[in-house]
Amino acid sequence: MNLLFGQILNGIATGMLYALMGLGLALITGILNIPNFAHGALFAVGAYLLVTVVGAIGNFWLGLLVAPLGVALLGIAIEYAGIRRLYAAGHDYQLLFTFGLALILNELIIVIWGPVGISHLPPAVLRGGVDLGFTFYPKYRLFVMAVAGLLVVLTWLFLERTRYGAIMRAGIENKEMVSLLGIDIHRLFTVAFALGAYLAGIAGALTAPIRGLSPGMGVDMLGIAFVVVALGGLGNLLGAIAAGLLIGVAQAVVAAYWTEASTAVIFAVMAAVLLVRPQGLFGIR
Amino acid sequence: MKQPLVLVLAAVVLLPLVVRHAIATEIWIFAIFGLGLNLLLGYTGLLSFGQATFFGSAAYVAGYLLKYYGIGIFTALGVGIGVGALSALVVGYLCVQRAGLYFIMLTFALNQLFYFIAYQWTSVTGGEDGMPGIPRPALLGIDFRQPLAYYVLVSALFLLSLWAMQRIVESPLGKILQAIRENEVRAEALGYNVPRFKLLAFVIGGAFSGFAGVLYAMLFGIVPLEAIGFVFSGNVVFATLIGGSGSLYGPIIGSLVFIWLSESVSVLWARWPLLLGVAFVIVVLFFRGGVVEAWSRIWRFSKRAS
Repeated sequence: MNLLFGQILNGIATGMLYALMGLGLALITGILNIPNFAHGALFAVGAYLLVTVVGAIGNFWLGLLVAPLGVALLGIAIEYAGIRRLYAAGHDYQLLFTFGLALILNELIIVIWGPVGISHLPPAVLRGGVDLGFTFYPKYRLFVMAVAGLLVVLTWLFLERTRYGAIMRAGIENKEMVSLLGIDIHRLFTVAFALGAYLAGIAGALTAPIRGLSPGMGVDMLGIAFVVVALGGLGNLLGAIAAGLLIGVAQAVVAAYWTEASTAVIFAVMAAVLLVRPQGLFGIR
Repeated sequence: MKQPLVLVLAAVVLLPLVVRHAIATEIWIFAIFGLGLNLLLGYTGLLSFGQATFFGSAAYVAGYLLKYYGIGIFTALGVGIGVGALSALVVGYLCVQRAGLYFIMLTFALNQLFYFIAYQWTSVTGGEDGMPGIPRPALLGIDFRQPLAYYVLVSALFLLSLWAMQRIVESPLGKILQAIRENEVRAEALGYNVPRFKLLAFVIGGAFSGFAGVLYAMLFGIVPLEAIGFVFSGNVVFATLIGGSGSLYGPIIGSLVFIWLSESVSVLWARWPLLLGVAFVIVVLFFRGGVVEAWSRIWRFSKRAS
C-alpha cells in the first residue's frame, strides 16, 4: 500500500511536468494554429542547457533560471525566422518545418553532448528524502511539484488576470477580431511561442535530475504533450493540468506493477478516454 | 497510353541498371506506402502522421507468420493488407472524429502507442534489435532470394497498386473524398457521412501501407523497430510532399528522390537525420509545392531566357 502511495506521489510530480508541457503546447497550438513537432526538442534542449550551465558555473539555481530563458530565446528565433513565414501555408508544410527543426535539434544534441545518456544530480540541498509518515520521499520531487505548481498558477494568473493574458485568450478564440482591434497579432504570436517554449524548457530542466538526459527524451515527451493537449483541449488550462495529472498518475501506478507497459499506458489511457469522449476531457467541440 | 505512365514504366525498367537492386526495390515499396498516404493527404485532405503504425504492424504480423509458420508470399501479402486495414480502422475510428491539428496529433500519439508496444514486447518483436530472419519464400519455382527476381515481383506489384489507386481516385468514392477535401461542410450537406468516408480512406490507405510493410520486411529479411517509428511516418509525408501531393504520381517521384538520396547519403554520414532536417526546413521555406512545381518553375525560367 505504501508503494502505491509513493507511486501516486511520483505520478503527481511527473504529471505536473506533463501539465507544463501540455500547457505550453496548447498555447502554441491554440494561438499560432500550427502543429509544433519541435515541442519535445525544446524540452530536451532545456534539460541539456541546464546541465551545461550547472557544469560551467556550478550553480543549480542559476541554471534553472537561465536554461528555460535560453529555450525561450530559441523559440523567439524559430518563430521569427521560420514559422512566421508559414502562417499562410498548410498544416502539412508547418508540420514538416517543425519536424525538420526537431530532427536538427535532436541531432545537434547528439553532436554536442554525445549519443550516450547523462545522469545529473539534484543540488546538495535537495538530495536525500523526507519522512512523510507513510513513506520516505525524495526532497527533489517535492521541489519539482512545488515549482511546477507555482508555474501553473503563475501562468493561470497571467492568462486570467492580466491584460495581455486576456488578449492571448482572445487570440485563441478569434484572431481576425483581435487584429482588427488594433493589436499587433504578430507580436502576440511571438510572445505565445516564447512562453510555450519557456514552459517546455523549464519542464526539461526540472526533469534532468529525475530521469537523467538522453537524446531520445524529446521525442518521448512530444508524444506525451500531444496526449495532454488531445485530452485537455486547446487553451484550456484546467484541462491541461487534469490531463497531465491523470496520465502521470496512471503511468506511475502501472509502473509499480507492470513496468514494461508504463509508457504504452499513457497512450492507452488517451485512446480509452477518446473512445468515450471524442472531444477530450473538457472539450466542447 | 498516358505520358506519366510511360515514364513510370521506363523508370521501372531502367532503375535496376542505375542503382543497386535493393535500393531500386525499396523505392517502389516506398512508393506504394506513399500512394496509400496520398489518398489521405492529397485526395481527402487528411494529414496523417502515423502511417508507420500500419506499415510496421503488418510487417511484424506477416513477418512472424513467415518466420515461424512458413506461409507463402501471397498469404503474407494478404495478411499484411488485412492487418494494415484493421489497424487503420482502429486508429482511424479514434482520429476521424477530430479535425485539423487534433487529428494530426492523435495520429502521432497513437503511432507512439504502437511503437512502445513493439519496443517492449521483445519476446515477439525483438524490441530494439528488430525481428530478423524473415524469409522470402519461393513461388512457382521462382527463387525470390535472387535480388532481380524480387525486384521484378515488387515492381509488378507496385504497378498493380498504382492501377488500383488510380481506379480508386477516379471512382465515385474518390470523387466524394475530393469533395470532402474541398469543402467538408458542403459534402456533409449533400448527404454524405463525412466521418464514415474519412474512415474508409484511412482503411484503404492502411491496406496500402500494410502491403508495403510486408514487402519491406521480405526485402531486408528483418522488421527493424524503425519500421513502426514516427520517423518513418514523417519520411513518407516528406516524400509525398516533395513529389507533390496534388497528383497521383507525386508520391512516386517523391520516393524516387527521397530513397535514392537517403540511401546514398546515410551510408556516408551517421548524422544523416541532421541533413534531412535541414532539407525539410529549406524545402518548406523556399520550395513549397515540391519537385514538380520546382521543375516547372525552372522550365518556365529557362524558356523565358531563351
